[in-house]
Amino acid sequence: MEEVGIVGADLTPCKGRWVELSYYGLSQLAVKKTLEDAAIDIKDVDAVVYGIYNDIFEYSAIPEHPLHGIIGMANKPGMRVTCGGATGAYAMLAGYTMVKSGLYDTVLCLGVEKATDCFDFDSMTSTPEVIKSIGWSGDTFYERELGWTASDSYAEVVLAYMDEHPKDLSDEVSAEISAILCQQAQNNKYAQRHGEKVTKEMAMNSRYVVYPFKLLETCVYTEGAAGVIFANKEKTISMCKNNGKPPIWITGVGAANEHHVVGKDFRHKVMHRIYSDHLSAQAAYKMAGVTNPLKEVQVIELHDAFIKQLQVTMAEFGFTKLGRSDDLVKEGLMVPGGPILVNPSGGLTYAGHFVGGSNMLSCWSARRELIDKQLRRGMIHGTGSTIAQYGCVMIMERRD
Amino acid sequence: MARPKAKAKSKAKPRAEAKPRANQKPKVEKVIPLHMIPNVESEVIKIGDGRYLQSNEAMFTFYKRSKGEQSPYFLALLEKKRILGARCPKCKLVRVPPFEVYCPDCQFEKLKLLEMPDTGVMNSTPPITYFANSLFAHMVPFGRGRVMLDGADTAIPIHVYTTRGVLTPRVFKKNTPVKVIFRKNRLGKPTDIFAVPLSEVPEKLRAKKGVEEHELDWSQSAEPPVDKPTPESEKSFKSVLAAFQAMSKAVTKSDRAKKDLSGWKRSIQVKTAGGNFLINIGKQNLKVKPGKAKADFVMVANNPKLFEDWMNFRDSLTNAIIAEKLWISKNKEFTTVFKLDRLPRSLRRTLETSELVS
Repeated sequence: MEEVGIVGADLTPCKGRWVELSYYGLSQLAVKKTLEDAAIDIKDVDAVVYGIYNDIFEYSAIPEHPLHGIIGMANKPGMRVTCGGATGAYAMLAGYTMVKSGLYDTVLCLGVEKATDCFDFDSMTSTPEVIKSIGWSGDTFYERELGWTASDSYAEVVLAYMDEHPKDLSDEVSAEISAILCQQAQNNKYAQRHGEKVTKEMAMNSRYVVYPFKLLETCVYTEGAAGVIFANKEKTISMCKNNGKPPIWITGVGAANEHHVVGKDFRHKVMHRIYSDHLSAQAAYKMAGVTNPLKEVQVIELHDAFIKQLQVTMAEFGFTKLGRSDDLVKEGLMVPGGPILVNPSGGLTYAGHFVGGSNMLSCWSARRELIDKQLRRGMIHGTGSTIAQYGCVMIMERRD
Repeated sequence: MARPKAKAKSKAKPRAEAKPRANQKPKVEKVIPLHMIPNVESEVIKIGDGRYLQSNEAMFTFYKRSKGEQSPYFLALLEKKRILGARCPKCKLVRVPPFEVYCPDCQFEKLKLLEMPDTGVMNSTPPITYFANSLFAHMVPFGRGRVMLDGADTAIPIHVYTTRGVLTPRVFKKNTPVKVIFRKNRLGKPTDIFAVPLSEVPEKLRAKKGVEEHELDWSQSAEPPVDKPTPESEKSFKSVLAAFQAMSKAVTKSDRAKKDLSGWKRSIQVKTAGGNFLINIGKQNLKVKPGKAKADFVMVANNPKLFEDWMNFRDSLTNAIIAEKLWISKNKEFTTVFKLDRLPRSLRRTLETSELVS
C-alpha cells in the first residue's frame, strides 16, 4: 500500500457572507491558492474529491458539476462527498484512500460552501433560513417536523452527558475555552472573526441559542473554500522538494457513524456518548501507533461545532477522562503553553465553519503548525449529522 | 421576579399551536406559509468599487410523499390515538417508533408490531430551542426530547411541554416521568403527540389512554406585577433611560448595529418598578421615551438595572427571559429580542474596529 503525504493546502478568507464571489469563484480561488502552495500545476492532479455538504446552500442538486471544468479538471475523475458536518473530513478520507490504494498518484480535495445567501424574509435576516436549510437534514419521518436543528441535536448529546457528569462542563470553563480560541484566531489571517476580542465574561453572558449552548460558544456560519492535495510517496517527496515545504504524512485514519435512533445500548445511539469520535480516534491511533495521545499528539484541530461538544470530544479522544473535560482548563491541558495545542486556527467557532471545507481548514492549520513550530504529530477531526452521529479522524506526522 | 398568579382555568392550547399572523392567515393551510414567500425582485449590492447583483429566489419541490412502511405508526396516531412499537421475535428488542421492518441485529428477522403504553421517562434532559429555524420561529421556546416509553428499548423523539407557562430548563430532567398527550386535530405526523410531566397530569387521567390536549389545564401566566417604585429603582430607571439615549446615538455610528435593526419596526412597552418606557425600533435605530402607549408587545422587568446589564454585556435579554427576570407578552417576539441582543456586541465591535483604525 502507498504512503500518503500532504503536498499543499490553502483556503479563501472565511466570511459570514461572500457577496463578491459565488461558490464557483470561491472554488477557483481556493484551488489557485492550493496549487500555488504545492507549487504544482492542475495538470499534475489526477483526480478531485469535492466536499460540499448541502445542495440547498449551493442552490443545486449536483453542485460539483460546474466546478469540474473551471478548476481545470475536465476529462479527469471527480466525485462529491457529503456527510453532514463531517463532509470535509470524509472528503479527505476519500482522497487519501484513492492515493493509498495506488489508483491515483495525486488527488485534490476541494471543500466549498455557501450558506448565507439563504434569507428569511420574515425576520429580514439570514440565520433562521440557514438553520431551516440545515433542518432538512434531520430524520424526515420523526424529527424534522418537530423543528429539528443542528444546535438542539448536539445539545441533546451534551445535556445527556451532563446528566451523567453533572459536575463537568461548567459554564466558566466553556467560556474560558471560547476566549482562548478567540485569542488563537488572531494568528489566522483567514479567520472570520479575526480582529474580534471575546473575553471569558462576554462568552459567559452571551445569550443562549439552544440551552445549554450560548452564542459565543457556538460555531459561526461561514462561506468559503479550501483545498488539500494528497500524493503518493514518490510524488510527495519530489513535490515537497520543489516547493520547499516538509512533507506531512498521513499515518492514521479512522471513521465511524453511529445509529440515528437513541437506545439503551450501543446497538443504537447512547445519547451521553459521542461514540463515533471515540471509535474513529481509536482506529486512527491504532493505525498510527499512538498509545497515549496526550503525550504523543502535539496539535489537534478539532471540529468545535459547540465548545461544550469540543470538551466531550476531547474526552472521547482520551486527552482527558469522560466526566473530567473541565481539566482541559483546570489542569491546564489546552491553555496556552499546555501540553496540547487545540484549534490554533480559532476552530470553527472563530475561524469559520463553511461546512464542506471547514475540516480542510483544520488540515491546513494543523499542517501549518507542524511546519512552522516543528511539531511531530497532529490530528484533525470532523463530526456531523444528527446527534453527533458521524466521526472522522486523521493523524498527520512530520518525519524530517 | 415572583411567579405571577395564574388566570382562571382555561382550555388554551399549548404554544406549538401558535397561529400565523392573523392578517396573513390563508383560508386553507399551505405547505409553504404564504407570508414567507418574497416577491420577485433583484437589487444591486455595492462593496467597495464593485457592484453585485442579487435576486430573490427559492428552491422548492412539492411532494405527495408516501410514509410507506412507516404508515402503521402514523395511522395509529391519527385514527386510534395509539402508539406502536416493533418487537424482534429473536432478540426481543422493542423499537419505538417502529422505524424498521427487519431486525439488523438478528439476520433481518421480521419485526412484529405491538401497542405501547403512553407513559415513560425522559431518556435524558431535553434541549430547549430559543433560536429556531424560520418555519418554527413562532413556536419558541420549545423543547424537543426523547421519551423511553415503558417497555421500550429505543426512545421516541417528541415535543415536550409544561402546562404551567414558559418552558425552562428546570422542568424536564433525565428520568422525569411523562405522559404522551394527543392533539385534538391530528394529521398523522410526529406533532400529533407531545409529552408533559406526569406530575402535571390529573390523577384521574394518568391511566387513561389517548388523553387529548384539551383535557389538561393549560392556565397561562398573566402579566406579572412590578413592585412599587423606590428611590433606588427610580434612580436606576433614570440611569437606564440615559444609557438608552447613549445607545441610540452609538447605533447611528455603527453599520453593524444598523444592520441588526435593518428592515425591522416594532414598539415595545417596557414596565419596571422604576417606571415605564417605550422602545420604538425603526429606521435602523431605536428610540426610547418614558411613559405608556399602545405597543406591539410588552416587556416586564421588576428591576430596571437589567437593561443596563444587557447594554454592558453583563446579561442578555434572552437569558433574562429564561431566568424569569424578564417577561414578554408574545413569544413570537423572541425575534425582536434576538435583534436587540445583537446590539451591545455590534457596538463593541464597531468601537474595537474604530480603535484599531485610529
